[in-house]
This record gives sequence, C-alpha cells and structure tokens, in this order.
Amino acid sequence: MAGAPRRIVITGGTSGIGLELVRRLAPRHAVLVAGRRTDGDALPVLPDGVRYVRAPLTDPEGATRAIAEAVLKAGWTKLDNLILNAGTGFAVEDGIETAGQVRDTLDVNLASSVLLARALFPWLEKANGTLTLVGSVVHRGQGLFPAYAASKAGLDGFVRALRAEWAGRVAAQVVHPGPTRTEMHAKAGHDPGPLRAVFVPAGAMAAMLEGAIAGRRSPVTISFGRYWAGGALWSARL
Amino acid sequence: MSARGKALVTGASAGLGRAMAERLAAAGYAVTGIDRDDPGADAGHAHWPCDLADRQAVDALAEPLAEAGPFDWVVFNAGISATGAFEAIPAEAHARLLAVNAEAPMVLCARLAAAGALGRGGRLVFVSSLSHFTGYPGAASYGASKDAIAVYAGSIRKPFARTLGVSVSVACPGPLRTDHAARHAPTGADASRRMAPDEAARRILAAAGRGGATITPGAAATVFALAGRIAPGPVTALMKRLIHDRLDGPVF
Repeated sequence: MAGAPRRIVITGGTSGIGLELVRRLAPRHAVLVAGRRTDGDALPVLPDGVRYVRAPLTDPEGATRAIAEAVLKAGWTKLDNLILNAGTGFAVEDGIETAGQVRDTLDVNLASSVLLARALFPWLEKANGTLTLVGSVVHRGQGLFPAYAASKAGLDGFVRALRAEWAGRVAAQVVHPGPTRTEMHAKAGHDPGPLRAVFVPAGAMAAMLEGAIAGRRSPVTISFGRYWAGGALWSARL
Repeated sequence: MSARGKALVTGASAGLGRAMAERLAAAGYAVTGIDRDDPGADAGHAHWPCDLADRQAVDALAEPLAEAGPFDWVVFNAGISATGAFEAIPAEAHARLLAVNAEAPMVLCARLAAAGALGRGGRLVFVSSLSHFTGYPGAASYGASKDAIAVYAGSIRKPFARTLGVSVSVACPGPLRTDHAARHAPTGADASRRMAPDEAARRILAAAGRGGATITPGAAATVFALAGRIAPGPVTALMKRLIHDRLDGPVF
C-alpha cells in the first residue's frame, strides 16, 4: 500500500537504479533529484514535475550547499526521505588506483554522504524521516576496485553509528544492492562478461530498494536470490 | 649506514605510531616518520612534516617519499577523531577526518605501490579500529573512516601479495593509553584499563610480521571483536551507553 505524499531528495537520479526509483516515486511524491549533469541534459530524462539541481558530488562541500539551497528554494520545511544513491568507482589492475580515482570515489560515495546527512538532518528530524545510503554487496572487500569497496564499507560503518545516535528521531539505514544491469560497470571500465546475465534489472532493483526504504530497517542486502524469489513483485511501496 | 632495511610510519610523533616507530628503529630499521607535529629531539627516526588533510601536501610528499624507498615496513597509522553528536560536529571536522584517516593512506599506498617503493617481501599495515567490529555512536565519521581503511586493506591484500610480494595487514586496536584517546574518551573513563601503546605496537608488529590479515591486539580486543561479529546490534547499543551518552560535548 502506498502511503501519503512525501518530500524526497535523491542523488544520482538521472541514470541507473536512481532514475528507475525516481520514475516509481514521481507520480505520488514530491521529488528533488540531484545529479552531475547540466539541467539541459538532465531534465529531458526525468519525469514531469520532478525538481532538479546540478550538484556534482566530486565537490562534497559545494554539492551539499547546492542541494540545501534547492530544498530551501522548493519551500520545503521538512524532508521525509533523503536517498543517497549516487556512486562512482574505477576498475583497476593489481589493486592500484590513481590518486584522482581514490579521491573521486571517496568524495562521491563517502564524504558527500556524510556532509549531506549532516546538512539535511534538521529537515529529516522534523518529518521523523528516513536517511537511506545505497551501499554495495562489495562492502566487505573487492580487489578489482578497492577504493569503491572501501567507500561502501565506510557507509556501512557510518550508518551503524548513526542509526544508534538518531534512534527515535531519524531512521538511518544502509541498503547493499547486488550487481545490477546499469551502465555503472561500463563507466567503471569493467566488463562483467557473461556474468551480466545474472545481474538484476535496474527497474526490479529499484522496486526492491523502494521496499527496503519503506521498511526502514538496516542493513538490508538485496541479492540476486531475492529478485529470483520474486522480491521485486512483493516489495512495499513508499 | 648498516640499517637492516627501511621503514615508514605515519603519525609517528606520538601514541601508537611513535611506539611502532621506536620498535622498528630498535630492530635496526631506518625509520621515516610522517607527522604534522614535531616528534621532539629524542625521536629515533627521521621526521618529515606533513598535514595529511592537505591534498597538495600529500601530493608533494608522495614522490620524494617513493624515492626514499623501497620500504620493508609501511605502517599507515595516522588518524584523528571527532567525537560528539554527529550533527553537532562541524562539517569541516568530518571532512578533515575522512581526508586524514581514509583518503591519505589510500592515496599514499597507491602512489608508493605504483612507484615500486614497496619492497618485495615487505609488510604493509593499516591501523583501523576495534570499532570495525561494532558501531561507534558518538564518532560516526570516525567509524566510517576506520571501516573504509579496513576494507581497503582487505581488498588489496590478494593483488598486492600476488604482484608485489607484499603482505597487507589491518590492525584493529581497542582503547589505548594515549593523549588522543584521553581527549576523546568520556569524562571519568578509567585510563588504566586501556592498553599501553608500546604493548599494542609489539603485538601488531609481531602479528604483521607473521603475515596476519586482521590483527586485534590483546585478549580483550579479540573477545570484543568476536562479540561484535556475533551480536552487532546489542554491542553497538552497549557502545552507545558507554560512550555516546556520556560525552559532554563535541571534541574535534
């Protein structure tokens, strides 16, 4: 059962799982999407009525300022859901990344999440809202993209602390999706080959992510097994 | 110079880093210490000043550091904390903490590896925290940084062993009797129950020397890590009562 209309901020909402989630939420809720693309590139992709703010998370401080300003400009005094879904990573040989790859990965995936959670906490608290961090099943380690795995582990550790700190005020959760059929692997410079066949379609992953967000539990791992068992069909709606 | 080899320790001026630098020097290694603070005249290592939160400074450090290698021991130990209610700690303090604790060691590690400055047969140690096995309410960004570095170490362990012949370990010490811990501990906490930094240094270096993947120095730390693995929820709730709820205000 879908609930009352919500005010939702989602990062990385112009492609992949994020865009599928925006498509599911936009008809019933007020959605503000933050992304890296220019307005001209982003708006044609997004459903009608969705607000957009350009806020590249490679600059965590600047992006946090831009998103907070966009929330104010929208006239929102509270926020029901903050969904930090944007992510980046680089596949490398022998576990050795460049300094730039390490910094971009940590800035987009970890530092931005910490700063946005802090900046938007007052809005979330007023709504007894939910902070959702999109992690990854590789948060326990992966030699193909060490900084990416590290950044997702950081999100897991961050939420374990924050969930206890914010108990009763804001539900902080981390959701770890398994491999999903998006452009992320190509962008990261990795070809999964025939394995891609067992990747979950982005739309189904978004459905299960929505269910996890509605459930407010943490941590939640969304595996191929859950999809195969029909998880995308019986997931709760926000 | 009749040194046995070369060692590098970050955060070498005080606390656990100082203890590890002293032990490595005593074992015959020529030790280079990186720190923002001066170690004083009695330090037995070469002091290279650097603020690891400063990207330009880290980039400027990486090349001469690689040229000073190859290192037989590299210990990424430098860390800072920020304690208090998460939202009461300034954004700048969180950003600085993530830069020092997570970004700098990963950047320096990758640069040293790419430059061939990690000696074959060498040891690479990342100092994480016992909080890796639980939650750390009252130090959310610190907990995040220590999880990140622990998983980074685990991620590079296999490829580094295979291609560089370097053994990667992660150390997860519990509370130590250092100035750093005293600054961030709740008021009234009993410092005598914390492990002496030299004892932790001895255990970490011995275990890393044997090629251990994950090191929890001391029986108490080992038991706590196990409890955190079995029952993360109750252990985190206990941490909240013992630490978060007793903090007077933010310290960063």
